[in-house]
Amino acid sequence: MDLTPTADQASLVRSVADFFADRMPMTLVREGFDRPSAIDSTFWKQLAELGWFGLGLTEDVGGAGYALADEALLFREVGRRLVPGPLIATTIGARLAARAGEHALLASILDGNAAVALAVPRHDVVSDTTTRRFLVLDAIGAELVLVAYPDEAALYSLDAFAGLAPTASIDDATRVSTGELGDASPVARVADGADALWRRGTVLTAAVLTGISAGVRDMAVQHAKTREQFGAPIGVHQAIKHRCADMAVRIEAAETLLTVAALCVDEGRADADFHASAARLIAADAALTGARDNIQIHGGMGFSFESDAHLYVKRTHVVDLMFGSRTDHAAALIHADAAL
Amino acid sequence: MELRFSADEDAFRERARTWLAANFPTEERPRSGKAMGEFDRAWLRRQWEGGWAGVSWPKEYGGQGLPLIHQLIWYEEYAKMGAPPIDSCFVGVAHAGPTLMAQASPEQQAFHLPQILRGDVIWCQGFSEPQAGSDLASLRTYAEIDGDELVVTGQKLWTSFADLARYQELLVRTDRSAAKHNGLTWVICDLTTPGITIRPITTIEHEQHFCEVFYDEVRIPISNVVGQINDGWRVAMSTIAFERGTAFTVGQVQLADLIERLIDVARTLPGPDGRRPAIADDEIARKLATVRAQVAALRAMTYANISRNAKQAQPGPEGSMIKLYFTEVQQRLMRLAVSILGPEALRDGLAGGRPWVHNYFLSYGATIGGGTSEIQRNIIGERVLGLPR
Repeated sequence: MDLTPTADQASLVRSVADFFADRMPMTLVREGFDRPSAIDSTFWKQLAELGWFGLGLTEDVGGAGYALADEALLFREVGRRLVPGPLIATTIGARLAARAGEHALLASILDGNAAVALAVPRHDVVSDTTTRRFLVLDAIGAELVLVAYPDEAALYSLDAFAGLAPTASIDDATRVSTGELGDASPVARVADGADALWRRGTVLTAAVLTGISAGVRDMAVQHAKTREQFGAPIGVHQAIKHRCADMAVRIEAAETLLTVAALCVDEGRADADFHASAARLIAADAALTGARDNIQIHGGMGFSFESDAHLYVKRTHVVDLMFGSRTDHAAALIHADAAL
Repeated sequence: MELRFSADEDAFRERARTWLAANFPTEERPRSGKAMGEFDRAWLRRQWEGGWAGVSWPKEYGGQGLPLIHQLIWYEEYAKMGAPPIDSCFVGVAHAGPTLMAQASPEQQAFHLPQILRGDVIWCQGFSEPQAGSDLASLRTYAEIDGDELVVTGQKLWTSFADLARYQELLVRTDRSAAKHNGLTWVICDLTTPGITIRPITTIEHEQHFCEVFYDEVRIPISNVVGQINDGWRVAMSTIAFERGTAFTVGQVQLADLIERLIDVARTLPGPDGRRPAIADDEIARKLATVRAQVAALRAMTYANISRNAKQAQPGPEGSMIKLYFTEVQQRLMRLAVSILGPEALRDGLAGGRPWVHNYFLSYGATIGGGTSEIQRNIIGERVLGLPR
């Protein structure tokens, strides 16, 4: 048992952090707000060259052979830096294509030619039947749509969704469309088995949320150290200091549980679903509460568009829809067998 | 990174489990007083005889000299087995012992450490005072130097198990003119010394395990000073992250057991509407799921902390995060238990109900003892995040 990253893992995280800082700094993230698509084709190709979409796939199908625990460390950087675009859906979509044996499809995803949008089921009216209507996240510029449930997952082409149309988005960096899934056959489908895609999607979602929480902590702490009022940095005051300390504790909980959840998947443990749902819940709380507190700590500045504080809140709300809601995961967790 | 344990560690776990199953005392542990102290000492003695006391203590001090991870495994199995706690011996094994290992002279170590590990003696702390709680360094109990003796006069407060203890980690002021952190001395106090009066204090749970201790010109040999005169603050702080992160392992495994038992209770006990079991109530189910996730996170934090500490000589301030999280999750769990039990929680002596209520009241003390949650947040803010004081 050792939950500390190895030297190799630490250097991998550093190189990915440098890559994002160089290719997708916050200035570029903000420039993307006014573009039609959140998928910057240059950046998407660079991600593909890095091997991003096949990080966790085996080398024989064109992947990099990393464990989910490695992927989770790297997806934390996506959240921390608010990297735009459907990175989780495309990564899971590539895995689905590999599992379905759709090699041409897989190649186009891995090459960066086909981005995968994520469909989030939505109910327009109260109904206990499975809805065919979806919010589709970052459909614009994507070639495929991932529709995932705990027990099955499928990739569709965009035109499988009737009336797919852009709608308003809570997050400046995420394009949201609505549409209804017709009778078209998927281009790839798998019934989830031992290598559950849903479980991996849940862990990567938790990773992005955990990264967001670390990003807001760093922002809040930096502000608390430098912003002076009453002749001293505001971080001397316990009202600020304790808020920051609580953030740090929630993040420690989120980061360590995320690692455990990813390792449970990598090591094929029977309590992998338990830990994935638990990590998802803890990470969402760390991100939401931290992002909210960060705005409060920044005062008036935190309410301005110029500050990045609001971007973390907005992205959190979007990511929090992916691979099941907190209600879904709370329900899954309460009915799961106890952790080993 | 890996979650699985090595074959050697698994073998150690199996040995621990086998030994515990055959050896832990099954008779009920007395709830308080001398009988409890005797019970705890006898049980620690049996662990020592079996070669299980001080798993990660160095061999030169009578321990097993095994890695920290073995200590974790031992505590996990200990708690899973439901082996009784040795609360009254905790300060000796988990705090005084490590302090002596780090700071005491070879003579002091040779005399005291084996006694601690064998369960010969109970130790207590002597830090808090009526006017020095969270602001520990403002303590006033004064020791005048008279030849080769310290003459101590003053009062300590909230001293757990002082009434059962033979020795005390006593922090006193030896220089009133120095800055408050610089005039303190850490000394081993034999509680049988004349001039000491100990009065137990009754807790909100009707128990008497903490005390106030009065000193009236108590003469302690200077040879009992650990470290140097006026260097006591450094000595006291050296073991603040005691047991390098394993100290909460038993409590954490117990919480994991409690949340599972509470979920079982919620499956059968009527919920708020009286028509369905409590777990069918959305709010209760959600709270149970949240606490279940938090208990899992607590274990992850413990594992991560032990992973870190296994690689560094000095434990970092991350232990404060575990203390804060552990005690707050504990309170949340116990509050939830009382709300699920509903009216049943009010009935003292109810079979199956009483332990919940007992633990509920005990949890109020958890965020106060050993450094309040507010002090932990200061430590996290300043030492983990680097915020200004």
